[in-house]
Amino acid sequence: MRHWVFGAALVAALGVVPLVTSSEFWLTFFLMALLFALLGQSWNVLGGYGGQFSFGHALFFGLGAYATGILQVRHGVPAWPAAIAAIAIAAAVGAALGALVFRYRLRGSYFALVTLAFAEVARILVASFDYTGSGFGILIALAPGAGNFQFADRRVFYWLAWALVCLGCLVALWLERSRFGARLIAIRENEAAAQALGIDPLRTKTLALALSGAIAGVAGVLYMQIFLFADSHIAFGPTMSVEALLAPIIGGLGTAFGPLLGAILLHALGELARHATGGAPGLNLVLYGVLLIVMLRFLPDGITGLARRRARG
Amino acid sequence: MTRTPTRREVLAGAAAGGAVLGMPAILKAQAPSVKVGLLHPVTGALAYEGEQGRKGALLAIEELNAAGGIKSMGGAKLEAVLADAQSKPEVGAAEIDRLAEAGVAAVLGPFGSGIALATTQAAAKHNLAHVVDVGVVDQIVQRGLKNTFRFAPGFGRVTAQGLENLVALNTAAGNPVKTVLIVHEDGAFGSGMAKLMNERLPQFGFQILDTIGHPTPTRDFTNIALKVKQANPDLVIPSNYKNEFILMARTLRQQRVQPKAIFAVLGGAASNIRFAREYPDAAENIIDNNHWFDPTKPLSKKFAASVEKKGWDLTYELMLNYSCMRLIADAIERAASADRAKVIDALASSTFSDHIMPYGPTRFENGQNQGAQIVTTQIRNKKIEVIYPKEFASAAPLFPVPRKG
Repeated sequence: MRHWVFGAALVAALGVVPLVTSSEFWLTFFLMALLFALLGQSWNVLGGYGGQFSFGHALFFGLGAYATGILQVRHGVPAWPAAIAAIAIAAAVGAALGALVFRYRLRGSYFALVTLAFAEVARILVASFDYTGSGFGILIALAPGAGNFQFADRRVFYWLAWALVCLGCLVALWLERSRFGARLIAIRENEAAAQALGIDPLRTKTLALALSGAIAGVAGVLYMQIFLFADSHIAFGPTMSVEALLAPIIGGLGTAFGPLLGAILLHALGELARHATGGAPGLNLVLYGVLLIVMLRFLPDGITGLARRRARG
Repeated sequence: MTRTPTRREVLAGAAAGGAVLGMPAILKAQAPSVKVGLLHPVTGALAYEGEQGRKGALLAIEELNAAGGIKSMGGAKLEAVLADAQSKPEVGAAEIDRLAEAGVAAVLGPFGSGIALATTQAAAKHNLAHVVDVGVVDQIVQRGLKNTFRFAPGFGRVTAQGLENLVALNTAAGNPVKTVLIVHEDGAFGSGMAKLMNERLPQFGFQILDTIGHPTPTRDFTNIALKVKQANPDLVIPSNYKNEFILMARTLRQQRVQPKAIFAVLGGAASNIRFAREYPDAAENIIDNNHWFDPTKPLSKKFAASVEKKGWDLTYELMLNYSCMRLIADAIERAASADRAKVIDALASSTFSDHIMPYGPTRFENGQNQGAQIVTTQIRNKKIEVIYPKEFASAAPLFPVPRKG
């Protein structure tokens, strides 16, 4: 219960950031943290609640970004319908991938490897065809206006991202309370036992992957509309897959606010490392890495896990 | 168990939050000088290129400050605010916000085209002048951004000129080259170049024997070298990145493949002095069409001497950033202000010519410097010499390249 209150307070505090600071830098800082929190929540739905560790979540992020970009640039679809279509595509691909991979009962490291492979294949494919912008990528024309899903005021993007993160947290809370979530968690705990109780693992995990894909797709769409550009490495590269799993693992797997907490913390750490090391190139990344190792060593169940342990003790 | 936070804890938290949010305000309050943001990818995949770019700009700042700073502003010193794009567009865009808050008058960077697309747009929101140092993708200056200025030529101009120079060299030598083989990396850059060459070369009477694609990274070029040997073309046109370029050139040498010339356009390593120095056997006589300075200018000679004294590699990133920094300083000088709108106006109306590139006076049209061009270089005796056009040449072209034993 306390964890729930703390999470809600964090979300509420983030909601007023644009009112407290007029600094574009801090706004961008928190906006990026929110964006990666959303991506992290997507990973958390499948990995945290479902126990299926994906190493290729960039696939769905990239699909969201690329689909909305291609629909706008190549087919002249207005930005908002394109965004909705892109999210649907990411969800559909999630469902198709789940139906395929889970049918063959790929679990654990095999599931991780297959998702990694799919993301890599997608990256190479989009880099190979002119339709997908080949190696150059997709560039959406700059045309500020709410109708074009482009806002001159950074705060609008911020609140949009914030609202979507809230929605993501609500989805996670729903998972903790709903029948579907209970089935998913049962599969995470013991798939054979869950099946013996009459749960259909294929159906449940596939739905979870579709839901996860949709959320990652939302993050991809948002990224594309903010930066108006993505290439194959940004959208489908392994870096994005790692970003997706870092935030929930650091923040707390299978908790509603873990990804948000993790994303904020990771971004703060990155920024802190940069300030601490000054101008020496790369040193901030070394410090960031060291801090990450220390955190993983002493906080195996993330920050939320620490809070829970302290609450119990 | 529940526990309400004590008043002291709440205060400490509020103070920490306030300190974090208040930090940019502290950054603003510094001694009067003109700040310029240097945004380069000094970590990540483009770290070497980014580091070179940063060095070039810093060298220019050092010299300009030693010469009395910005005179129209009472000798105000230029102050570099360093930023790292980490070879990622979104990091670059976030860095622009940080630079804008640090109060920079203009931004220079960020080498990569993908990063430039994001950073120029982010800078446009702040109405902050952004001079693009390299970034050859043409879309960078085709989006109507009033704050974006590219001093160097774009992809379209570079490739067109590379082909013109090839035809000119070949004609001057009595048309020794008739057949061509293209080796390219299969990403955007290499594939785009290969496609263009396949369209344009036959129009000039060249016969294309084969077009061989390979992924990046590729760690073994033996099969490709053997294919080239079998096809026996007069000319090999490579279009790949630095590591693959070096490996390919070395493998061609090992397999004793000796075309009449290796002719690169924006070659990965053919304009890299380290390649010329460290692998002279493979590098000797390779021709490239790339950004390069005009070695005949007095300022270029002074620049080359400074670079050598500092023990740096002489590369085009260094040259372009050195020139772009001088361009920015000139604009601030004429604007007599660090005001962003005034600096943008001064850049837009720039006729700056005190740089080391073979461009002549600057004239921006939609943000693209119209006089910008590349030159044809050739590696000779571990040095990179300009061989074409004649007015900038430091050596006569060796074309075709004589066969070695």
